Amino acid sequence: MAHLPEDARHRLRDVALKAGAVVCGVADAAAFEKHAPAGHRPADFLPGARAVIVVGGAAPRAGDWQASPWVLQTMGTTERIQGVGRRLAQYVEAEFGYYALYLPPGTESGSNPFVSLMLAAELAGLGSRSLAGPVLNREHGFLYWSAVATTAPLPVDGPEDEGACPAPACRQMWERERTTPCLSVCPIDGGGCLGGELVNGRPVRHSYDRDRCATRVHTHWIGGFQQVLEATLNEPDREKRKMMLYGDYFTRTLWALTYSSTNMAQCFECLRVCPAAHGLRPLE
Amino acid sequence: MLNAMSATTREEEIKAVGRRAGARVVGIAAASAFDAHAPEGHRPADMLPGAKAVVVAGGDGPTAGAWRCPDNRVMEITGYDLRENVAVHAMADHIEREWRHYAIQAPALPVHGHAPPMSMMLAAELAGLGTRSFAAHIILNPEYGLLYYAALITTLELAPDPPLDRPACPHPGCVAMYKRIGTTPCLRVCPACLSGRVSSEGRIEESTYNRERCHSRAQTYGIGSFQKALLDIVNEDDPAQRHAKIHGDFFTKSLQAIGFYRDSIAQCFECMRVCPVGRKYRKLE
Repeated sequence: MAHLPEDARHRLRDVALKAGAVVCGVADAAAFEKHAPAGHRPADFLPGARAVIVVGGAAPRAGDWQASPWVLQTMGTTERIQGVGRRLAQYVEAEFGYYALYLPPGTESGSNPFVSLMLAAELAGLGSRSLAGPVLNREHGFLYWSAVATTAPLPVDGPEDEGACPAPACRQMWERERTTPCLSVCPIDGGGCLGGELVNGRPVRHSYDRDRCATRVHTHWIGGFQQVLEATLNEPDREKRKMMLYGDYFTRTLWALTYSSTNMAQCFECLRVCPAAHGLRPLE
Repeated sequence: MLNAMSATTREEEIKAVGRRAGARVVGIAAASAFDAHAPEGHRPADMLPGAKAVVVAGGDGPTAGAWRCPDNRVMEITGYDLRENVAVHAMADHIEREWRHYAIQAPALPVHGHAPPMSMMLAAELAGLGTRSFAAHIILNPEYGLLYYAALITTLELAPDPPLDRPACPHPGCVAMYKRIGTTPCLRVCPACLSGRVSSEGRIEESTYNRERCHSRAQTYGIGSFQKALLDIVNEDDPAQRHAKIHGDFFTKSLQAIGFYRDSIAQCFECMRVCPVGRKYRKLE
């Protein structure tokens, strides 16, 4: 019978932070049942799962946000936090003797994840959903997430009571203009992706056009490759076909697909204008 | 000639660097040991002139939790951290910086067909980290079972570790099973790809592995599936069918597999799932 050390939570947090995470929390695996459909809960992937360890980090740096959108597009960072998740899964098994499953960050089919990492972050008390969509941490703002399901009976965190969104400045803007920075930069009624309001000071999303957002956020990713491939095959003119395959758009798409991991995401506008997305620490 | 004391010190020091960087096991082979087994052009000295030693790192595969997952798609895309490559680079950096000798990562990915420039399986065997198994000839470490291997080649002279005196495969449980019913867990679970005989001494007497068939099952998403789907797409005359094939899950997953996400590296683990070597590390609470 494995014995879970009393300081297991602290040790996990230390390992996670040393490996590059900025936050680490634990969600109750059973808490997913209220929110996630069957087939998308931790116990569907790890029988007997009791807890989900969630780490966040690897966000664009303050300097990246200061750079031009073109530069920010090339800062691939999400993969760094996934390495932390993998390491934690091995650590739990080696040190505590309980099963641990690194929850895959990719999609099961279409745009659907196996287990929602955003939901995991919320249930682990690491952040809450914003009007813009991403889960924002109160101290660090926008982060990328990785999660590990485990049978270890770790003490769990609950969802946070008050989220980072809306920021005080957004509340004031709402009172004044009935919109917020993210809603005004990408309004769903004006060709954008986001629709929502503040109700009693809380963010309430009414609509989010995921498909439209995906075509803007991942212009150079797998979808871009598929789009150019189809257009090229449909193009009868050999010279035009050559231009399509050797042109900048397809070249950047190939860079995005390969290990160099540049051009992973191209639109950060809702988060660029979000006062809560960049953390609390101002830099010089 | 190496001084025995300093040899121990430098070898242990290098291995410790590898383990700290994430390797589960580290072993050392003499570069010249490849001459008896690898064809010309595939030996360490063909990659790095003056090569004296090959340092091999074995990294963990899927976690025990991943082996328990009832959704086979998860094992297809998760569980690898490929730390053996990181460990090899950490050790190579250490050798060049601290010992002032050349060190390179041994090239392992095929440059034509399935033939690697240098065999990591052979490197692991010669470094005493494991032996070939009935199960697709995968190298099994006697303690941990399935590991993933990477290696570095160096001009630094290092005392090699001896190859294992007793092979990891067949496991005593498999020998007993063979005596009873004439097969082993892996041979039984995949008669399509594997066949073999256990000798009266409990050793592998004969082993056959259908690599082409195994490859088509173990890597249903990857470079091969991308090429297959692409050819099918290019040959498709109907624009609507072409659209469906390009944007369908199979081609999309193939693209994810060849991308840096490391999704879908391998899809069939059945011979390893039933292998008892290293199973104690897969039985947790």
